[in-house]
Order: sequence, then structure tokens, then C-alpha cells
Amino acid sequence: MPYLNAPGVRLHVQELGAGPPVVMLHGLLLGSLAAWYFTAAPVLARESRVVLYDLRGHGRSERVGGGYDSDTQVGDLEAVTAELDTPLTLVGHSFGALVALKFALRHPRRVARLALVELPLPPGSAGDIDGFLARSPEEALDALPEAVLKSAQGGGRAARRLLEHLDFLASRSTLLADLAAEPDIPDAVLAGLHCPVLLAYGKDSACRPVGERLAGVLPDARLAVLEGGHYLHLDATEALTDLLRDFCRA
Amino acid sequence: MNTQESEQEILEVIRQMLVDVAGDELLLDEPIGMETSFNEDLELESIEFVQLAEQVQMRYGGSVDFAGWISGKDLDEIIGLKVGDLVRFIASCRT
Repeated sequence: MPYLNAPGVRLHVQELGAGPPVVMLHGLLLGSLAAWYFTAAPVLARESRVVLYDLRGHGRSERVGGGYDSDTQVGDLEAVTAELDTPLTLVGHSFGALVALKFALRHPRRVARLALVELPLPPGSAGDIDGFLARSPEEALDALPEAVLKSAQGGGRAARRLLEHLDFLASRSTLLADLAAEPDIPDAVLAGLHCPVLLAYGKDSACRPVGERLAGVLPDARLAVLEGGHYLHLDATEALTDLLRDFCRA
Repeated sequence: MNTQESEQEILEVIRQMLVDVAGDELLLDEPIGMETSFNEDLELESIEFVQLAEQVQMRYGGSVDFAGWISGKDLDEIIGLKVGDLVRFIASCRT
């Protein structure tokens, strides 16, 4: 299995296709690189070198106790992209979009374009996450997006593993505290980001107003509102994939 | 070698890969056959399915384009995949 050592954590990385590099980042808690691997990534890989990795503590990356704040995770992304040709296209969902955005702010010359899918700002404001964690484990399962629920419904192996994973992140790592302490990004800072940005938000998502704010502040952004909620890669797989493919070609 | 034999051979390979990826607890229930579904029967985690794809790619190389195969399917089709679908796909790439 391909692993890469970032400072303090071993990350699981997968690659598909060949061409200009596109790095895809998933969201916290329920996410892993599989979120993109089974949705947009194989289509983008027809024309691009798609690099996917599991965020620290997720998927097959090392389960570390800390470093879930965006600054540390930008360091993880720096390690993943160290050997890639630039400029890069970055695609992130939810907190993965925050890491991508902050990477672009830190390394503006290394990023050709940025696709932010359901980025919550301030980062701790994702209603879905609060609602999800406030529930009992059984209720939390009911709150899962439909496609995830299908795999967890058996109450067997998949459900056990999912709950165990969430329990680790919620009670044995600093993830929730890191998320709660994550500051907003001031509009004046956002206004300094000059690369093309695609903003994709779900019509029914609590994060949708963030898309409108970003579209108003970022100098070169386009907002697309798709049918669905926070888990847009599952709710509107085809529409989101088409958007991302066209954006990567532009 | 006819197609039937090679599918049987590929099935054996996939069974072993599944055990490598997900552990031998997978073998405790029903035997893994062509009609076994990855999601409903084996309850494979999506990240385990990624690892299985990686193993398929490592063993069969460029002649089996797993990503290309998946890119033509929607999420419901992927969730409904059976072991036999993968075996037949691999066999079709090798003929």
C-alpha cells in the first residue's frame, strides 16, 4: 500500500491516471479518499494525474491523536504535493476544502485553480457535523447520508467499523477541539486569492450561505448550486463530476 | 485455457485479495462466490474496496483499467457490485 511520511504522521495515498496533477481532499469524520475514488476521481483521471490521500486519522492513514487543525493539515498537503509538478489543481470537500484553500493562500504560485465543495466558514459551523455528533450512536447512524447508510444498515461489520472510527476521532483525538478552535478567514485575506475558484454547494445544505459570501469576496470565483445537501459528491455525483471535469480543463 | 477456467482462477485470486484486505473474518459466513456482493454480503468498507482495486491493479497491471471501469458506473451500481462482476471484468480484459 502506498504510504508517504508527513511530519508526525504516515499518510495513505492513491493515484489514478496521468496528466496535469489534481489533488483531491475529503471531509472529516465520515470521509476517506474513497469519497472521491468512487465518484469524480476516475472521470478526472481520464485527463489528469489524480492524487488522493486519506487525511490524518482517516481511512488508512495513521490514527494520530492530534494535529487536526487546518495549519497542520496544510503541512500534510505540502508533504503530499512535494514531488508533484506545479501548478496544481486542488479539489476539496468540506474541511478538505479548507485545507486546500489555506494551502493556496500560503502557496499562491503553486496553485493553478481551486475547487471548494461545501466549504464551511467559520470551519466549526458545519451544521451537519454539530447535529451528527450531538446524537447517540444509534441516532448518528440514522443521520448518515443515504449512500453511507446503505453500507452501515446491516448493523454488522461495516456499522461496527464506522462507529469505532467515529469514536476514535471524537473521543480519543483532538479533532473536535481543533475544529471548534478553527478561526474564520477574514474577507480581506480571501480577497487576495487570485486563482480561479469553483464553489460548489448543495441547495439544501446549511453551508450554502458560505458559497454566496465567498462568491462575493473572492476575485475570480464561480458559484454552482447543485441539488443536494452537504455530501454533494454522493447527492449529485454526476453533476458535480461534470463541473469538476470542465473546471480542470479550463 | 477456456474462459470458464480462467474465471475460476481469477475468482481464487480475488478471494485471497479480499482476505488480505479485510481479514479472514470474511470467510466465517458464506463462502465467497461469483454471486457474493461486496457491500451487502461482505460489508466491505469503501476504503477496503480501494485497497482491493489497488491489489487488482498491482497483479494484473495496465491491462485491467479498474478506474476506467468504475468511471462508467454510478454510485448505486458500484454499491451493488458482486464478486462475479469484477471477475468477469478482469477476464474480459485478458482475452
